[in-house]
Amino acid sequence: MAAVDIPAIGGHEADAHGDGNAPYLTAKRGIMSWVYTVDHKRIGLMYLMMVSIAFLAGGTFALLVRLELFSRGKTIVDAETYNRFFTLHGAIMVFLFIIPSVPAALGNFFLPIMIGAKDVAFPRLNMLSFYLYCIGVVILLASIIGGSVDTGWTFYTPYSVQTANSVISMTFGVFVLGFSSILTGLNFLVTVHTLRAPGVSWTRLPLFVWGMYATALMQVLATPVLAITLLLLGAERFFGIGIFDPKLGGDPVLFQHFFWFYSHPAVYIMIVPGMAINSELIATFSRRSIFGYFAVAMSSIGLAILGFLVWGHHMFVAGMSEFSTMLFSALTMLVAIPSGVKMFNWTATLYKGSIVWASPMLYAMSFIFLFSIGGLTGLFLGTLSVDVHLTDTYFVVAHFHYVMMGGTVMAFLGGLLYWWPKMTGKMHDELKAKIGFVFVFIGFNLTFMSQFIMGSRGMPRRYYDYLPQFEPFHRASTIGSWILAVGLFTTGYTLLEALWKGKRAPRNPWGSAGYEWMTETPVPLANFRQTPVITRGPYDYHLATPEELATGWDEISEKPAAKKTSQATKKD
Amino acid sequence: MNESNAPATYQLPEQMSTVSGDIDWLYYFIYWTSVVLFVAIVGAMIYWAIKYRERPGHKPTPTGHNMPLEIAWTVAPIFILVFLFHKGFQGYMDLAVAPANSIEIRVNAKQWSWEFVYPNGGSSPELHVPEGKPVKLVLTSADVLHSFFVPALRVKRDVVPGMFTTVWFQTTHVGHDDIACAEYCGGRSTGANGELPYEPSDDPRNPYPAGQATGHWAMHGMMFSETEEDYAKFLKSIGDKCDQFATTGKPCPADIAAEQGQKIYSNKGCLACHTTTGVPGVGPSWKGIWGKEEATNVGKVKIDENYIRESILDPQAKIVTGFGPVMPTFRGQISDQELNEVIAYIESLK
Repeated sequence: MAAVDIPAIGGHEADAHGDGNAPYLTAKRGIMSWVYTVDHKRIGLMYLMMVSIAFLAGGTFALLVRLELFSRGKTIVDAETYNRFFTLHGAIMVFLFIIPSVPAALGNFFLPIMIGAKDVAFPRLNMLSFYLYCIGVVILLASIIGGSVDTGWTFYTPYSVQTANSVISMTFGVFVLGFSSILTGLNFLVTVHTLRAPGVSWTRLPLFVWGMYATALMQVLATPVLAITLLLLGAERFFGIGIFDPKLGGDPVLFQHFFWFYSHPAVYIMIVPGMAINSELIATFSRRSIFGYFAVAMSSIGLAILGFLVWGHHMFVAGMSEFSTMLFSALTMLVAIPSGVKMFNWTATLYKGSIVWASPMLYAMSFIFLFSIGGLTGLFLGTLSVDVHLTDTYFVVAHFHYVMMGGTVMAFLGGLLYWWPKMTGKMHDELKAKIGFVFVFIGFNLTFMSQFIMGSRGMPRRYYDYLPQFEPFHRASTIGSWILAVGLFTTGYTLLEALWKGKRAPRNPWGSAGYEWMTETPVPLANFRQTPVITRGPYDYHLATPEELATGWDEISEKPAAKKTSQATKKD
Repeated sequence: MNESNAPATYQLPEQMSTVSGDIDWLYYFIYWTSVVLFVAIVGAMIYWAIKYRERPGHKPTPTGHNMPLEIAWTVAPIFILVFLFHKGFQGYMDLAVAPANSIEIRVNAKQWSWEFVYPNGGSSPELHVPEGKPVKLVLTSADVLHSFFVPALRVKRDVVPGMFTTVWFQTTHVGHDDIACAEYCGGRSTGANGELPYEPSDDPRNPYPAGQATGHWAMHGMMFSETEEDYAKFLKSIGDKCDQFATTGKPCPADIAAEQGQKIYSNKGCLACHTTTGVPGVGPSWKGIWGKEEATNVGKVKIDENYIRESILDPQAKIVTGFGPVMPTFRGQISDQELNEVIAYIESLK
């Protein structure tokens, strides 16, 4: 793999502010070097810290909700507090954790490296979107302290315009977070279009980047609708304009249309990045190219487009006309096709590969296991007459947790373990990571499989209390949540422990052919010593030399130029 | 049409309506399709992950292309999906179009109770329907979104303020099931003196006793599918006994009026917030309130006919100190005669 001197594309602080070849963590020191940083890697790390705190907070509320449901009647808190807990769990997990988790943290860190760029297209805009995120978090926290919201994360009207709590500050926080999301999306789109290193054609784009690209499209196009909806909600509450409240002549179902017009694409904003990570993990640990690369890449785009056309399936019993119900059901069915294509291609990739049972691969395989369940239970909910019975029950709760947590969170954890050496320069303890995985996998299934059964038996969502026949299932689910928590803490500990006890990570510990492993560990400030010229795809294990899979590019390029010419002829 | 009176299975509740057989058939069709697909994908994944595990001397084969296979697994699911869509929509239309001869029952939902108003004008907090007869419910809400859900009937419909939604069903046999609210509608656990007690009961008819912390989960009702005779008897029992006096022009005796008032107290859902034991709930208890002087947000008020009347029709006008402005108005939902009966009932609770 050759590296030639090509003028850097895009501006970078490295030229003016430091040595581009120094490791990004130590190129500059001191707290202010982090506060003012425009380096996409540092911003990615700061995002990672924030979303981890959000995950901890959202997870704590989840555990409290489960604990309250352990027994009938009051277990730990009263009904109003319970309603706040599940609202906070949902709002924090959706808006503060899962939407920014993969794109803003891992995407920010790896998208530019994976296309051979020095940074994102607009580094300062990237910094702005991080601080907007922080402001959004502060506003949300303020609304929690100042009265709390009990509407559920969906803010359905007219309850949300009547309830006395701080719905407006909460939705304003979400409004600000939306801008952060839009800016990140915009940045990624421009980066992928303009900053690809020579040789990174669209057909050599890593699938993680394809996923981020599809996600960015949705973020840019869908998030403004959420902003509009929340502004209308604010106008209604402040000025009494009748938009959604029937007492003022509004229509509460209109709010649901607006809300899901954003929030359904948001579901794909959450899952497509998870799928994107999974493609990387499956390829690396099978030592072979993803089967049907083009189909997998296009299925991400397909999901992004379909995501805009199916919002009505949240409202099959909400009072829509039969005609729209029919259309939305038909369109919803189509979602199964790109999802299925991904599942089939990942599985086919394993065939005749060389499968490494490393901890990230365990998460990747559990993604396939859990997302199969999450996806297939979607068939029940897309089928109209069956959905009538199942909607708004725990069946739906279990379904979207299998997709969101079984999908995105599993991929996120797998991605963290996978890229941790590259990000921090330290190796984690594989045994501890695998023990953590076993607890996460068992705990997760116990928690949510019980919810499928009680849901199909008729247990509605968002209930503080329940009929006696549901108690065994609630108990199993709560116990599952504790096992899950043990697994997550073990995994978190494993990652943190690596920072002070971990061995120095080699350049390419997993033997991947992916571009991001070709540079030094930890990554230099400018990502690569020289702008790389790419002559093979990111999954071309048969073209990658053994040295490459062990030590990456720069060390090769420092050796005689003979190699350089022989590689250059292979170009494309 | 599939048989529609199977007992509960591990996954699904008992079947009680004519549509439930078809819906459950489709449920189990999807279930077994999913099981087959899941076992195929996950089975292949585990088998290959073990068979082709990394070990010395084992080399991966570079990935090739297989266009026919790619096309096959893109196109094949479409057949299943079209079938599911078709069956699902068919079932949905069965649920959507009520037969012309349906018995029409009006449903008023409010935080946090159901009221069912029958063709004879009587009402009850429980739903009684004749076995084997089509019944159409016309639903509306006085405040926020609710959703009418009876698991055994396999029906669910959101109840939206400002519009009417409908749901219809025909039961297949005599029996009963729970009515649940399936759309989150808030909750309250504070009364006049802080937190309300909360202790669920084991009585399946009334699992969430009145006068306690209440909300979304406590909007529980019962649906009774009865023989025609029992249904006719029920209709008679909810008719207003004061009616006969009204037609003769004589005043309704106090004890009969109070008895009617007690029915309204439970039918219209007053009991969700007002106890008759003296313990304050979300609203003041009715026990011993008659004739008392109470402090309100507009000064002292004597609890008499006029105050009660005003509080029912315009609840926000004078609010007893210590309670929130949370009661919905009953204007248009309660007749003058019923108001008098409620007043007579409160008077009887001295």
